[in-house]
Amino acid sequence: MKGAARWLIPLLPIPVLALLAFGLTRSAQVLPSAIIGEMAPDFALQTMEGDSLALSELHGQVVVLNFWASWCIPCREEHPVLARATREYSEGDVRVLGVLYQDDAASAERFMMRYGGDWTTVLDPGSRTAIDFGVYGVPESFFLDAEGKIAHKQIGPLTWPLLQSTVDSLLAASAPGVGS
Amino acid sequence: MLIAAVMLAADPVAAAPRPQDRELLSPAEVDHLTAQVAAQLRCPVCRNQAVLESSSGLARQMQTVIREKIAAGETPEQVKAYFVSRYGGWILLKPEPRGINLLVYLLPAVAVLFGGGVLFRQMRRWTGSVESEQPAPEPPDEALSEEEEAWLRRQIGSAR
Repeated sequence: MKGAARWLIPLLPIPVLALLAFGLTRSAQVLPSAIIGEMAPDFALQTMEGDSLALSELHGQVVVLNFWASWCIPCREEHPVLARATREYSEGDVRVLGVLYQDDAASAERFMMRYGGDWTTVLDPGSRTAIDFGVYGVPESFFLDAEGKIAHKQIGPLTWPLLQSTVDSLLAASAPGVGS
Repeated sequence: MLIAAVMLAADPVAAAPRPQDRELLSPAEVDHLTAQVAAQLRCPVCRNQAVLESSSGLARQMQTVIREKIAAGETPEQVKAYFVSRYGGWILLKPEPRGINLLVYLLPAVAVLFGGGVLFRQMRRWTGSVESEQPAPEPPDEALSEEEEAWLRRQIGSAR
């Protein structure tokens, strides 16, 4: 036993080191979402223009729900991706909807005028909706299928390949004759 | 309030909140329960802080949500469950002792026991209660040679 312990004990750090090495491959910024696969929590919020918009009104469309803020630099990076989505997909199929996070309408308006784009953004005072979606920073985007289920959550700025592949697969799944 | 507390403690069925109990919550009690829940939730922005301590905008808004839910009649457990359902288990500062989270609670105890055991074994060796693996070296029992003794006297003499 003494002989076995002699070479066994120096090997003990190895599983610990393996665990730590595995930990280094995980990002502390990206935390698992608890609501993937569930129905998106409904909300009825005011748009920047002052109208009321409820998420349930968008039933039947694939929705890209984008939490953003004018002070958020990665949000500027992904802005052209969202703009391209509104150009390349018809609004009947795919709706891009912004939710303003910890920001004021005036700053958001200036942002949209500066960087372009005409899709709707709703205001979320008190961050009730952000909390309902488990948002902890911006940008965060949720992809909802035509039935309103959360198919995917993107933490961090969107890229066109990611948006396109996710939206295309959701459109294919909701095409007439497929399931439903 | 004390009588109600004793009754609730004695009868688990009565422990489930009934609508009329909620009218008993004074603003001070709402504050207290809100702080209690906020101290157990992790601030999603400053993740080493409790929501109660964090000054981030989201944490303050979470406190408002907590307060509203408590005032509306939800129990602290229900409020915590709501946040866990939205954010995931990491929103609790103390991980639920289930599944792999058990490692967080067990590993430190195991490490202390293991280290303590190694230390105990070594200390017994050091104090000589256990025969060590090699026998202690025998002290030489020859007297110093003349050369060695003369050298020694020189050393001692030069030190004075």
